[in-house]
Amino acid sequence: MTTPPIVELYGVTKSFGAFTVLNDIDLKIADGEILTLLGPSGCGKTTLMRIVAGFEQSTHGRVLLRGVDVSNQPPERRPVNMVFQRYALFPHLDVFDNVAFGLRLKKKSKSEIKKTVTHMLELVQLGEYANRWITELSGGQAQRVALARALVNEPSVLLLDEPLAALDLKIRHHMLAELKRIHVETGTTFIYVTHDQDEATILSDRIVLMNKGAIEQIGTPEEMYARPQSLFCAKFLGETNILSGSVISAEGDTTYVDIGAGAAKVAMNGVPVGSQVSLAVRPEAIRLDKVREVAGKENFNFVDGVIQDVVFMGSRVVYNIRTPINLIKYQETRPVHGISLERGDEVRASWAADAAVLLTH
Amino acid sequence: MLRAYIWIYVAFLYAPMAIITLFSFHSSPSLTFPFEGFSLRWYEKIFSDANFMHSLWNSVIVGAAAAAVTTVLGSLAALGLARMKGKTKAVFGLLAFAPVGLPGLFLGISLVILYAQIGLPRSLFTIVIAHVLFTIPFFIETMRSRVEYFDLGLEEAARDLGAGPLRTFWLVTLPIIAPTIAGAAILAFALSFDEFIITVFVSGNETTLPLLIWSMMRRAVSPDINAASVLSLSLSIGLILIGGLIVWYQRRKAIGSRA
Repeated sequence: MTTPPIVELYGVTKSFGAFTVLNDIDLKIADGEILTLLGPSGCGKTTLMRIVAGFEQSTHGRVLLRGVDVSNQPPERRPVNMVFQRYALFPHLDVFDNVAFGLRLKKKSKSEIKKTVTHMLELVQLGEYANRWITELSGGQAQRVALARALVNEPSVLLLDEPLAALDLKIRHHMLAELKRIHVETGTTFIYVTHDQDEATILSDRIVLMNKGAIEQIGTPEEMYARPQSLFCAKFLGETNILSGSVISAEGDTTYVDIGAGAAKVAMNGVPVGSQVSLAVRPEAIRLDKVREVAGKENFNFVDGVIQDVVFMGSRVVYNIRTPINLIKYQETRPVHGISLERGDEVRASWAADAAVLLTH
Repeated sequence: MLRAYIWIYVAFLYAPMAIITLFSFHSSPSLTFPFEGFSLRWYEKIFSDANFMHSLWNSVIVGAAAAAVTTVLGSLAALGLARMKGKTKAVFGLLAFAPVGLPGLFLGISLVILYAQIGLPRSLFTIVIAHVLFTIPFFIETMRSRVEYFDLGLEEAARDLGAGPLRTFWLVTLPIIAPTIAGAAILAFALSFDEFIITVFVSGNETTLPLLIWSMMRRAVSPDINAASVLSLSLSIGLILIGGLIVWYQRRKAIGSRA
């Protein structure tokens, strides 16, 4: 982050009585990035966003916007705008008046309002809908109006609270692409709250994964996927195979783990012998062979099992393999010449030492 | 059997009203069948009766004043209740609605004692105070059926877009709930217009339409009572229908937009 951060959170804590919703959150958000607050429901992500917006007061801690402490400012004074989960469009106003709401409060001239609102409606591709009533809009259109109503005020930060949750899958993917395009065109910083890891990985520059009121891990979607630092992160983003075991020895940069079906070699150091650990191996990092073709070839990083089922998913094929230690998932791109493995085959799942991530918690 | 019972029940309920209405248009002073022909003479008679016009006017003034005060106080209470949560909400909601079960007799007597103690002479003003107390629980309950479905996110959206709490109320909350308020206000007017028992206690020398009809009854059963009753009845029923329909429609719309 070379430019100064646009949002800074220091020690933000929120408690309701004895119940702590957010615990000592520190976070810096760069100007112009799309940052996603990702986590299961109840993790505190929405509360954190509402604290930035000013709808909730943090119990402790400070919120800075463009370097200015806004912790005690009401929402109407903060240079941020929000897109609400259920749109919250004003039902007594038409599309134009909804979008013009913020500009009218700022006492902009009539001609300027007309120009800006029209431009904004075109940006969200609703140019023809200015005089429609809110009740006449589809879910996707309502969401675009909500987006325009927020963006027209040129906020320092646009807050999006699960904006696609109420839309069906097809429109959701289309809206994600739209959000990316609008982000590029406006250059506005987005803070995006979701519990959907797909939305998070598709959209974000960085993901903040939250769990039980604390930040679990921050990183780019690829970092989070490839190098999860905790079991929670490994499980939350994408599918993964978790193999639990204990460290049996360590040599240089290699750690040996007993996974109950032989030993696994991991490229990692610093974990004491005897520690209980988990290995996370992504389904696409697994290699699958028929046991009789590879028997006796390897000493590490494999487990033998039987294919329980083969799931055809269009461009990919997923195999569930029943092994003595765990159900292993293996995934490959659909073989052009047909699927050669089938249910009941005895197979060996193996992986490279650097494909597994060693997790200590 | 039960179906037949419903028919009898409805007939029992509405037959007297139908008969009164019919005889209010009777051309002869006779209050019994056979019916001899239609005429508007009893309506002409009461409209030219200064007592009748005076008490009708009193009822309108009291109804309007009581409805106005109830609307302001009741709306604030209903909006306040919508923002409460859990047990506090349940308790205050019950406290606000409980007076509905209070006998009018009790409210009338306690108000008379209160007025006497603070030295407030009985007048239209004291009737208005009493009617506000009487109508407000109904008003709050009617409003709540709509306000409960008010999306508080709309107020947050207005705040987010730069409106302070007061402007949020004027620009968003009030315009959205205004039709419901109007409907509930009409209901409050109708309730006040009809009110009899409490009014007997707190009216002093003033008279309202229900009081007048009652005093007419005490003198003699005459056909112009029919006309007065039918006027009063149709005004109330008409207003209750209009007010009720507005509130019902607004509530349905709010529930629809939530789904």
